[in-house]
Amino acid sequence: MKTRVGSIAQLLFVDLIGSVAWFPVWWYTKGLQMLLQSVFRALQYRVRAYAFGIWIKNFFVPMYGQYDWTGRLISVFMRFVVLIGRGIAITVIAWVYLLGVIAWVLLPPLALLLFFQGGAAGILN
Amino acid sequence: MADPQTLEQQERNFDAQRDLRELQRTEGFKENVGLPSVDGLLVWGAPIDDFHLRFRKIRRYTNIGFHLTLIILSVLTVAAFLYRLFQQESIQALWTAEFWFAGYPEVTLFWLGLFLDAFIIFRLFEYSQDTKRIPGWGKSSVWLHHYQETAKERANFRFDISPYVDDSGWEVVASAFRLAKNLKRNEIGVPHLFAAALSSQTGARFLMRVGLSFDRMKAPIADLINKGASGDGIPPLSGEAKRVLISAYENARLEHRRHVTAIEIFLEAFKQDERIQEVFNQVGYPPEHVIHVAEWIKLRAKLREDHDRFVRLAMLKPKSAMNRSMTARATPLLDRFSEDLTLSARSGYLAPIVGRDREMGELLRAIESGQRSVIMVGHRGVGKQALIEGLARKMVAEDVPPELFDRRLVSINIPQVIAAGDACLAAERFFAILQEVKLSGNIILALQNIEALSGTGSGPLDLAEGLASELGRGPFIVIGTTTPENYSKYVERRSLGSRLIRVDVPELNPDAAIRVLMARCGAIEYKNKVFFTFASIERASVLSDRYLHDRALPAKALDVIREAAVLARKKRGENAFVTAEDAATIIHDKANVPVEAVSQDESQKLLQMEDHLHQRIIGQDAAVVAVAQAMRRARADLREGKRPIANFLFLGPTGVGKTETAKALAAEYFGSETNMIRVDMSEYQDATSVYRMIGQAGDERGGLLTEAVRKNPFSIVLLDEIEKAHPDILNLFLQVMDDGRLTDGVGRTIDFTNVVLIATSNAGTQFIQDETRKGTELERIKTMLLEQQLKGSFRPEFLNRFDAIIVFKPLSKDDVEQITWLMLGRIEKQLEEKGMGFRVEDAAVALLAEAGYDPLFGARPLRRVIQDRVDNQLADILLKGEAARRDTIVLDRDGVMKVEKAPPIG
Repeated sequence: MKTRVGSIAQLLFVDLIGSVAWFPVWWYTKGLQMLLQSVFRALQYRVRAYAFGIWIKNFFVPMYGQYDWTGRLISVFMRFVVLIGRGIAITVIAWVYLLGVIAWVLLPPLALLLFFQGGAAGILN
Repeated sequence: MADPQTLEQQERNFDAQRDLRELQRTEGFKENVGLPSVDGLLVWGAPIDDFHLRFRKIRRYTNIGFHLTLIILSVLTVAAFLYRLFQQESIQALWTAEFWFAGYPEVTLFWLGLFLDAFIIFRLFEYSQDTKRIPGWGKSSVWLHHYQETAKERANFRFDISPYVDDSGWEVVASAFRLAKNLKRNEIGVPHLFAAALSSQTGARFLMRVGLSFDRMKAPIADLINKGASGDGIPPLSGEAKRVLISAYENARLEHRRHVTAIEIFLEAFKQDERIQEVFNQVGYPPEHVIHVAEWIKLRAKLREDHDRFVRLAMLKPKSAMNRSMTARATPLLDRFSEDLTLSARSGYLAPIVGRDREMGELLRAIESGQRSVIMVGHRGVGKQALIEGLARKMVAEDVPPELFDRRLVSINIPQVIAAGDACLAAERFFAILQEVKLSGNIILALQNIEALSGTGSGPLDLAEGLASELGRGPFIVIGTTTPENYSKYVERRSLGSRLIRVDVPELNPDAAIRVLMARCGAIEYKNKVFFTFASIERASVLSDRYLHDRALPAKALDVIREAAVLARKKRGENAFVTAEDAATIIHDKANVPVEAVSQDESQKLLQMEDHLHQRIIGQDAAVVAVAQAMRRARADLREGKRPIANFLFLGPTGVGKTETAKALAAEYFGSETNMIRVDMSEYQDATSVYRMIGQAGDERGGLLTEAVRKNPFSIVLLDEIEKAHPDILNLFLQVMDDGRLTDGVGRTIDFTNVVLIATSNAGTQFIQDETRKGTELERIKTMLLEQQLKGSFRPEFLNRFDAIIVFKPLSKDDVEQITWLMLGRIEKQLEEKGMGFRVEDAAVALLAEAGYDPLFGARPLRRVIQDRVDNQLADILLKGEAARRDTIVLDRDGVMKVEKAPPIG
């Protein structure tokens, strides 16, 4: 059972000060994992929203029930265009997410580095 | 073939689980060290005293303060950065390397700020929540499986559950501690935890649903928490209390809750302390009742979670009539005559379905099976519509077989389609709609009350036949609904029937209906601004099942609670509780059967029924006692459920009070003499007259008796002179007396369980008179009647079904004299209304009784005598105006009527 001193010590040294040491570890393990998971989920949701599976399965099925030759031709063309369009969209989104992940990885060391650089430059000036 | 490795693994798992359960039962609980579980050895590790309870708060405020400081610092760095930026000549400076690397202190701080932001993100994720999430919460089944597998590795480690208890739970623990400390108990017991939980917000919600006030529980709970040894100082958690907390954790984990909350502690404390259960039982709430309420609260939480998931998935479903693969086609005509159920479900207009997993599974299976189109057959109100709406929600969430994937469910309004006035136009419209459905290819048709298609079939044109032939060819799916009667009448033997797979939707039992009501009552509560107690929902379900027969569960119970909500709001205003009595009142009004709890007035009336009946019935003690006893049994709910309240056979000569007894009972108990359905059996002497009584197939009016009982199920059914009826008709009553129901010509089942069935008969009159004259005892006469005399008139199985066969003895002269008094009393009452008095001398009564007595006809001639000798004279006096108000009319010893003038006023 914890004593009073123990509790207060835990608050000060583990919760407050200790967290500074725990921060970098968390950032590149648990935190990064969380970020990647949410990016993955968001992408998955996007893919479902764009219904790639359905569109590929129905690639040769004419749109709007137009079963004539021209209908089929236009439909296949349209499906191709739409699939390409959506493919581009999902790629762009994926890139944006990737940039986010890179920013996450680089942020603490870069910020710290630039802070020290700035400090040094300030002193030199 | 199954993989042997997997089998072995499963076996091992099974063994491990069994060992675990064994451990839970023995070691853990007995020695009070902890409970083995997949997380390890569960223990309560947090100290409970004033300091530590306060320290929890201190820690939280310290963290909040720390985070706020960090956030302010971060904002300041941004502010400083902006300040530096605006110092520049132009904002373009942002794009120069010089600005960034010149070593401005503000820019340097900005970089520090960014680092700080990362630190804040970390702190907020890791330290802003006091309560840890229970391991496994929100994890995939693969994770859970792995976790289960590795349970043994953790088995020897203690697992402190206290960090998983959320604020509401800690509040309960803290107030239990304060309670025990203030009462100077030597430990915190289960009753302290329970009392604390009861006075928490969760407890209040709980009590509200149970329909109990806190004040009512206060005294017995106070008794409980004062029990046990007293002691000074800081009371520790008792072994039992720890067990409650640990079980609460275990319970929360099994139910996939995020944290341990007050409700788990409340429920575990309730379950583990029999004294607490006794306290609730004593005030009329058995343990199952309380546990049901807990289920209700959890059901609501689950519905909320399901709703969140549904909303997320619904976003993926197209908003328009077009499917995602865009193969569909515009359907302008269909859109005019239909409602898009998937669209309604997507917008959240359709309620989720509760239960009915079997029917839904059958429905989806039938669609998958290849023949595809389905007809749901069930009585009105069983929830066929709810099933269709549930399917629409499943389709929105795409939780359906491939046949239904990326489609929409459209309900055609059949009456609107066929309301063309011209049958040909209706058919044209219908086929055009089917053509659209076929071409579009993404539509599932819902045709509710599909029999309406057959209804238009005048002559050669029948839409049902048309639909059947289209179904034979067309690649589209139809889901129809109909009732069993209409199914056999319009669908089964026709070509449509062969194209549709039948899915039966049986009526819900009251227990399942309660769950539906629990799920649906939220909207009603919101609309009426009232709250349902569990008892009201339970009563609505059970009583509507027993007394309302026109519709099925759960619809009829839903109607009842809807009306009960309005009633409660009108009676007691907003925020009132809907009680069981409100539900009973609605059932009473709908079914004409008093189902409310027996009130004080009524129990007095029941207890004194003999006295009241005696005021009208002279000389038939045995009959009066038998009738009164049967009524008391019925109202105390001790009778057998599936029979009429009572079946009586009154035997005896004419004019001795058989019908009068029935009338007196109707007046006394059923409200008025008119609450009696009187059937003269002499009108039913041939076999065909049975149709008059129960109605004929195809004739919606029903029969005389069945309709009367259907409209007024709580009444007396008097079958007068039953020996005169045709034997076939008597057979009909065999079923009524045994099962309490009768099926009328239309096929409706009429409920006879709330009637008192009284049959009267003159059979054996001569025998009764002869034997009475000889002075034979009544009991003996009855035995002899049953054994010999009645054999010719009634079959033994018929006589056996009566609860009591009561022999009315012939009236003696004394009886007739008393009856004379009674009859004259009625005249006195009439005159009283005219403001006149009425006095009769004893000798006059004796004279009338003498003249009116006839051993053969009982008291019947008496009525005529009184009419001749009293009423006639009285009419003359009144018409001539010989008597004025305040005068007294006197019938003297010679039977002559005089007027005594009242003395002048003053």
